[in-house]
Amino acid sequence: MAFEFPKSLDDLPVSKVKWVGKPVNRVEDPQLVTGKTEFIDNVTLPGMLHCAILHSPHAHARIKSIDMSRAAALPGVVTTLTGEDAERWTRPMYTTPQGWGGYVLATDRVRFVGEPVAAVAATSRYIAEDALELIDVEYEPIDPIVDAFAAAQPDSPKVFEDHDDNIMYQRIFTWGEVEEAFQKADHVYKESFRWNRVGANPLETFGIISEWDIVEDSLTCRGSFQTPSFMAMGRAATFRLPSNKVRFIAQPHGGSFGGKGGGRGTDITLMLSRKAGGRPVKWIEDRMEYLSSGGSQAWDRHYDVSIAVKDDGTVTALRVKLLDDMGATAEGFGATGAVKPMASFTGCYAIPAAEYDLTLVATNKLPVSPYRGMGPPPHNFVLEQMMDIAARDLDLDPAEIRRRNFIPADQFPYIIASGNEYDSGEYEAALDKVLEMAGYEDLRREQEEARAEGRLVGIGVVSTIEPGVFDWNAYTVIGTAGIGIPEGVTVAIDTMGKITARVGFALEGQGQYTVITQLLAEYFGTELEDVRVVHVDNLSAPPNFGPGGSRLGVAITGAVLGAAQRLTEKLTKVAAKMFEVQPEDIELLDGMLRVKKVPESQLSVRNVAAIMLNRSDMLPPDVDPSPQATFAWTAPDRVEPDEQGRVKSYLTAANACHLVMVEIDPGTGKVEILKYYIADDCGTRLNPANVEGMIQGALAQGVGAALLEEYVYDDDGQLLTASFMDYLLPTIHEVPFPEKAALVTPSPFTPLGAKGAGESAIHTTPAAIMCAINDALLPLGVRAKEVPASPNRLWKLIQGASDQ
Amino acid sequence: MAAKRDVRLTVNGVAYEASVEPRMTLVDMLRGELGLTGTHVGCEHGVCGACTVLMDGRAVRSCIMLAVQADGAEFMTVEGLASEAGELHPIQQAFIEERGLQCGFCTPGFMMTIHELLQETPDPTEEEIKDALGGAICRCTGYESILKSVRSAAKKLQALG
Amino acid sequence: MKPVSFEYFAPTSVADAVSLLQEHGPEAKLLAGGQSLVPLLNMRLARPTAVIDVNRVEGLDYVREDGDALAIGAMTHQRTVERSELVQRVNPLLHAATRLIGHPQIRNRGTVGGSIAHADPAAEYPAVALALDAEMRIVGPNAERLVPAADFFVTYLTTALEPTEMLTEVRVPALPQGTGWSIQEMTRRHGDFALAGAAVTLTMDGGACSDARIVLFGVGATPLRVQQAEERLVGERVDATLMSEVGREIKTSIDEPLADIHATSEYRRNLAGVLTERALVEALERAA
Ligand SMILES: Cc1cc2nc3c(=O)[nH]c(=O)nc-3n(C[C@H](O)[C@H](O)[C@H](O)COP(=O)(O)OP(=O)(O)OC[C@H]3O[C@@H](n4cnc5c(N)ncnc54)[C@H](O)[C@@H]3O)c2cc1C
Ligand code: FES
Ligand code: FES
Repeated sequence: MAFEFPKSLDDLPVSKVKWVGKPVNRVEDPQLVTGKTEFIDNVTLPGMLHCAILHSPHAHARIKSIDMSRAAALPGVVTTLTGEDAERWTRPMYTTPQGWGGYVLATDRVRFVGEPVAAVAATSRYIAEDALELIDVEYEPIDPIVDAFAAAQPDSPKVFEDHDDNIMYQRIFTWGEVEEAFQKADHVYKESFRWNRVGANPLETFGIISEWDIVEDSLTCRGSFQTPSFMAMGRAATFRLPSNKVRFIAQPHGGSFGGKGGGRGTDITLMLSRKAGGRPVKWIEDRMEYLSSGGSQAWDRHYDVSIAVKDDGTVTALRVKLLDDMGATAEGFGATGAVKPMASFTGCYAIPAAEYDLTLVATNKLPVSPYRGMGPPPHNFVLEQMMDIAARDLDLDPAEIRRRNFIPADQFPYIIASGNEYDSGEYEAALDKVLEMAGYEDLRREQEEARAEGRLVGIGVVSTIEPGVFDWNAYTVIGTAGIGIPEGVTVAIDTMGKITARVGFALEGQGQYTVITQLLAEYFGTELEDVRVVHVDNLSAPPNFGPGGSRLGVAITGAVLGAAQRLTEKLTKVAAKMFEVQPEDIELLDGMLRVKKVPESQLSVRNVAAIMLNRSDMLPPDVDPSPQATFAWTAPDRVEPDEQGRVKSYLTAANACHLVMVEIDPGTGKVEILKYYIADDCGTRLNPANVEGMIQGALAQGVGAALLEEYVYDDDGQLLTASFMDYLLPTIHEVPFPEKAALVTPSPFTPLGAKGAGESAIHTTPAAIMCAINDALLPLGVRAKEVPASPNRLWKLIQGASDQ
Repeated sequence: MAAKRDVRLTVNGVAYEASVEPRMTLVDMLRGELGLTGTHVGCEHGVCGACTVLMDGRAVRSCIMLAVQADGAEFMTVEGLASEAGELHPIQQAFIEERGLQCGFCTPGFMMTIHELLQETPDPTEEEIKDALGGAICRCTGYESILKSVRSAAKKLQALG
Repeated sequence: MKPVSFEYFAPTSVADAVSLLQEHGPEAKLLAGGQSLVPLLNMRLARPTAVIDVNRVEGLDYVREDGDALAIGAMTHQRTVERSELVQRVNPLLHAATRLIGHPQIRNRGTVGGSIAHADPAAEYPAVALALDAEMRIVGPNAERLVPAADFFVTYLTTALEPTEMLTEVRVPALPQGTGWSIQEMTRRHGDFALAGAAVTLTMDGGACSDARIVLFGVGATPLRVQQAEERLVGERVDATLMSEVGREIKTSIDEPLADIHATSEYRRNLAGVLTERALVEALERAA
């Protein structure tokens, strides 16, 4: 049966919408503010041991020998683990692209500083760390391969001996008549850019407690899993176990942003538990481990970009050549970040032709992981710089060149050159809104005055797309399997009329439980207190994936509405029998099931559910005594990509326009954000306060990426930013509080018209800040091409200008 | 291994006694030995502020203090904010109403920091708030809602007198 | 990130602390506020066999006026200095420097003695101590001595303190009435250790500079007094041109600073000059 999802809030079965679309307080919060939420490190199990992992101090070395005997002999140490165990018990790690990884513990060779080499389980973490110092490893260092360009040379030394070179993936995607467009262009602009490694850094690192039941060979893992079912499936494959013997319980966790990591820690603790006779083994990744060997790093990119432009500023083609430094392996799905830009390759613009020349290269650094935004933020940064470069040369205002290239509002749904379909948008309206809020003309005047005083003040105006609701088909080109990502919920009403929703993902911070609560309270006409959301393990949950790719809000809305509708069908049959009418004659409105023509004939949802559970004598024959329903939602109409990788992948396209004004201190190179304005359009806002939170939080991460955050490796492949003293996260002092406006262009494709909104401003902020910086530098005739724009880098640029 | 030492301390008005190795950090004792897991650990090197607790009324980082140093001191942690009957403290209420949290992992540390601030500066300016919170990292919220939470908590507390 | 095992002592007197230092040798560490030491313990970069916690030593927590100077007990929390009206009145430079140290929660635990004894080249207190001719009172097994700041800071994280000695007091001469002062620093984020900084005092007499102190921090292995630059100012009518010249000269005259991921030597040199100039401008405004 095809489902008709309510397209807007007006389609919900209520006379007046009470909860959905309102900034209601979050159901998650009372537990959180009282410190009662059960984060993984709060859990202690009987007999539990503590794991510590020995990490490689070398970027590249052969392991000649490992001697665990002194460590094993330390009182309190229960068992130890090395690559030999991993070889015996596991398959090599699953990687995308395939074949670029080893075992979870190094066997013959280490390939990055931080790579796990051995592990111990002891009665306390303190003792476990003592034991690490007693492990004797003999390394024979090999010259590390650190520079991405050198690594990409055919004659480079190799990260993996069994490969011909270090190229994990190389392909040129061509969409439309690119060559022709460049030939016919009035102007061609070219530039190179560098985006340095940044990453997620949730405040809680990864943690896990693993148990290997050695009698029935089954696994139970509790941990801070972003995608528990997915991880469980991976363990079944890794350990060659029946998948229903792998139980994953996701604990609430302190953020993830795609970079929670944890694959290796999971397998290591499982094997330790196995060796310890099944005792639970806990591993809490510490911050230095997270920074040097966890899911912490993403996007290490070298770009060459060119655009073809007509005299009037119309961009006719875009060429992007990307060399993306993946680090040592392709574990952890970091490579997806290089592919996702295809979902929004040409940004907000109607650029008919484009080319993506993509090379993924292996080096002796930490393998990259996903991070909020999943890859487009650097892409947006380079695209938006090119727009400004063209604008300057053509003497167009940066806002104007964008306006001239926007996909017009009447052309949606719109298929971009790289194949994805944008559902809806009003890009010009968002731009106008921002210009109006900012008082753009006055700001430009202010800037002129500042320039006249010799101050370096600049304005950036940038519009971007946030592709929302990812599908696996976006990543088929690098070897992921499948189409569709079911996200399910079971909705149950009990005898007291209370509603419980069971989902497969745990709290992470985005407030999805609140959205589920709002939806169900609305649908069945109850108070918010009448609804409770619980998460269950992967074996109990309906099909699910969890947060990722800005999809959960939309997906879970579809699931909840689907389940609610299924449940209503059951309730309707029961009510029809009670009123002796046909089910078609019954409707649900404001929590009552009533006879359409005789509204006084009505029964509350609660009563009908109670009847179902307690009065089998009153049930119609085709209804079981179970006021519950399950529904799993996935995006409709997804197919495989064509031969150029073109595919409708991400279902929604949210849009944001940011305007930022900065000033650079010429003496120190330090950037101050003077003003910031945002107009954001992510369709229907199911809980506007949630959306605002996503925007502001992602903005902070964008500020970090643009100005502060950077993983630095030296020539020996040593990480120089392995603590929070050196990897600089923005604080309250560095993050601006912009004036924000909401535009609402509903998605025609999603339930209630909501769009993916979880990644949010990180798509826009780095690009906007960099545009503003380059605007400020304009009078000096220099250009900032490297992110982050650290004070040292900007000072050097300014210096270079005055030296000329 | 060095001999364990006895530590006597008060946390949230309750007297505790623990026997710990000298090297154990205060936060590991609070969480692991006393079961007060509301205080979180984000970095273990004093930068993120997640582990902030009040020691004799002062906001301090419990990851860079030793448990043995706590002997004789009085502490307050997030568990001590709400009343025994479960009524939330105005700071907690403000955080809920102003959306001062997302994942909530940083929140206990922020609330303890704010508790100290508002005890001393009942009506802080934006600069004073930023100064007090500048050493705490929140990776989720972008701080704006935390700032609003402080303002709201200040109003609530002032109204209570 | 858990410390290695160590013995722990909590003496209540300076004498006991010092004899514990003697007993346990160079592998023993004094623990003051712990804001520098304990992160190093957690990272196992510091691996003492004994930790001698001096927080229970009595009588080291004070700020008092002592003749023309402020006498500050080594165990005085930085927060206490920050809140001291006496400090604010007698030595606003010291007060301003204090507010630049980390964050309030760090200053709640961090001590004056700890900061000076730790001698991080980017720290504010050592620079101010040098700029103001502070003296360190040091107690050892047999004697007590007063060491002027100029002799105290030896090199990177190393001071004149012997392994068996403890710093007990810092004596900071008052800023003479009418002396202008300023402390300027460049940090990546608010509250971070400085990439570079300058602490300056400037005394004007009848339109000309009668005394100047310029101390740089974050650019060398210790805080760095730039006498050459000071001499350029003394006896002169200090104006914008001169201050900018002094700043420019500093950029080229100081020894090559350390480079790290946040700042190259070249950039640090530049910062030293720029911040000195800015500090001079501010100090001049404040000078009577
Ligand atoms: C997040 C963060 C930010 C910071 N930012 C800054 C900053 O911007 N500027 C800055 O200056 N500092 C900063 N600090 C460091 C802080 O100021 C420390 O308090 C200070 O450096 C050391 O003081 P302490 O009392 O904590 O000493 P401890 O950490 O206890 O000791 C430091 C060292 O000094 C020795 N020592 C301590 N007291 C004595 C004594 N009386 N006699 C002899 N030896 C002694 C110890 O043995 C140890 O080797 C920061 C710290 C953190 C965690
Ligand atoms: S955990 Fe203590 S400051 Fe980060
Ligand atoms: S709410 Fe997640 S870190 Fe602050």
